[in-house]
Amino acid sequence: MNYARPTPALAIHDLRKSYGDLHALKGVTFGLQRGERLAFLGPNGAGKTTLIRCLAGLTNADHGEIFLAGQPFKSSEARQQIGFVPQEIALYADLTTRQNLEAFGRFHGLRRRALRDRLAWALQWTGLEDRANDLVGAFSGGMQRRVNLACGVMHEPRILLLDEPTVGVDPQSRQRIFTMLDELSATGTSILLTTHHLDEAEERSDRIVILDQGMVVADGSIDELVEQSVGTQRLVRLRIDRPLSAPIRAGVAEDAASFGTTGADEISTRIDDVSNHLPSLIELVRRRGYGIADVQVEAPSLHHVFLHLTGYELRD
Amino acid sequence: MILTVLQISCRRLLHNRVELLLTFLVPIAFFSIFAIIFGGGLGRGTTPRIKVVAVDEIQSVVSSQVMSALAEQESLRFVRDSGADGLKREEAIELVRSGSATMAIILRKEREQLAAELMADASDQVAAQVVSAVVNRSIMLSEAEYQVSQLTDGDQKGNETQLAVGAAGDPDDELFGIEESLQRKVEIIDVMGEGKANPVVSMYASGIAVMFLLFGATGGGGALLEERENQTLDRLLSTQMSMDQLLLGKWFYMSSIGVLQVGVMFVWAQLVFNVDLLGHLDGFLMMTVVTALAASAFGLFLATLCKSRGQLNGLSVILILTMSALGGSMVPRYLMSDELQQYGLWTFNAWALDGYTKVFWRELPVDSLAPQLGVLLISGVVFLLAARVLAVRWETD
Repeated sequence: MNYARPTPALAIHDLRKSYGDLHALKGVTFGLQRGERLAFLGPNGAGKTTLIRCLAGLTNADHGEIFLAGQPFKSSEARQQIGFVPQEIALYADLTTRQNLEAFGRFHGLRRRALRDRLAWALQWTGLEDRANDLVGAFSGGMQRRVNLACGVMHEPRILLLDEPTVGVDPQSRQRIFTMLDELSATGTSILLTTHHLDEAEERSDRIVILDQGMVVADGSIDELVEQSVGTQRLVRLRIDRPLSAPIRAGVAEDAASFGTTGADEISTRIDDVSNHLPSLIELVRRRGYGIADVQVEAPSLHHVFLHLTGYELRD
Repeated sequence: MILTVLQISCRRLLHNRVELLLTFLVPIAFFSIFAIIFGGGLGRGTTPRIKVVAVDEIQSVVSSQVMSALAEQESLRFVRDSGADGLKREEAIELVRSGSATMAIILRKEREQLAAELMADASDQVAAQVVSAVVNRSIMLSEAEYQVSQLTDGDQKGNETQLAVGAAGDPDDELFGIEESLQRKVEIIDVMGEGKANPVVSMYASGIAVMFLLFGATGGGGALLEERENQTLDRLLSTQMSMDQLLLGKWFYMSSIGVLQVGVMFVWAQLVFNVDLLGHLDGFLMMTVVTALAASAFGLFLATLCKSRGQLNGLSVILILTMSALGGSMVPRYLMSDELQQYGLWTFNAWALDGYTKVFWRELPVDSLAPQLGVLLISGVVFLLAARVLAVRWETD
């Protein structure tokens, strides 16, 4: 039997790009499988947009290789296989939904029946069938985002590149947009999106790549990233009924663990096994004569991973 | 509150250096251009010289003196030496009709006296008055010189008697005689304008048309910059469309709109101001299509040259109004010095207006438009290629 991994839909190897003295990409390498949803994260100026522009054929990399389904990247072929949705609402506001979709369908090479079929699909997919003949400029931000997205997939690309597709939209529209993306993913479209919404990336992607200062600093599922960076321990916070008179010690031995600081009304600690260790901790605190006012258990999240890997320093 | 609004407005202006520059540069630029045109600053010593031809049908001593006197006039420029090539009346009139000369001076005999016919192109309303005065003066001086020479030659007695009789006559009769003599000596004949609308109307229709073609073209170019600013250009270039196709599509669109715009304006000119559009449809279409193509290419060139719509707006206002002023869209070029008229040839407006004048005013056959069509077409292609080269940075930045 052949257990080799399938050829990735997109493979990037040692991609480098500089603008004068600024090294935007310093050797980026990663892959994207067919139907995979990959969230591409990084602080401002990390090189995300440069990478997206390289993949969309809008910028030539100085060095490195890009493969589409195992074949070397050629700009002309890539345009047929890749869909690009920019961060801005890149639509003609003074055209209707139908006219915008039709225009971008034509720009992608669709004609006659193929164009009509995709137009009908796009209107249904975006839920804008009843607004097909309304000017896009009069739409809400969320509706414009949906049309913006649809214009990038009229030609049924194998890979969809999205640069912050949900920026500035309400939670309902965001939910709708991710439902649309899930539908695309289910049909085999590989999705690479950049975002600053870490919760989105955590919940709506199969894999996460974190880019910092032009380099990939993490690549994997959320569980893998947590394990590789901050670890799997849960953060437990106990709020007590009065300030501690002294730290609480777990035993009499000198090396026994101690919890809390004198004068604080909260005890924080990290534990491996919540079901076994948390009751013991609560019991210990009670035995020392303190009442428990509140308990919080916090699992390590992408937020912690991101800050752990990229630091707290502002980047812009 | 009002003070805060004032403060932030000033601060924004100070932060936008291009806008700040344009705020003060544009008025200075326009003042300088008009000062140069009307004040003779740049063209000092080269006041407009009227292009004339002269035909001496008498070939007398006095007429020869008049021809010599005219040749020495600084305000006239003889486009052909009538003495050298034996220019005929019909040929001279043809030179006026073709625009090679503004006026033909025909010296002829009328009631045994020297007289002049000025075959004029009424589109230049200043030239007729200037040349009339110059010719009158030359004839009177030449006749006077001739009479003086006759007196010194011997027939002094008879002339003295004549002069004496003249001096003793009624002064009013004498004045009337001078006026009558002037009217008789110089007659202005319009060889161009018979049965036509006011030449100023077709000239200004053309002038305004070209100016708005340029403004429309830069507006269209601005749409390209807008697409770049909102990332629509990135999206377009990520499709199967190339930059070549995008620029050509915009070029054809802007040119088509320009042709329609000018067409509608000339239909209006025909309906309301009697400009004969239908009678000159072939020449009009040739000039309008080529001028619109050239103007659109210029608009695209400016758009690809600029980084933002703000820059484009400032630059295009300066360039278009300067070109319109120099090229004759605002004031006729014949009012400018020779030097400025030469500068005007570096503008679309001058070539386009010359072409439209040939079509509507001189009614020349369309093959006479070859120089204008050629220059406009070549400049259009050059600007389009330049725009393409400049747009390369948008494909790979």
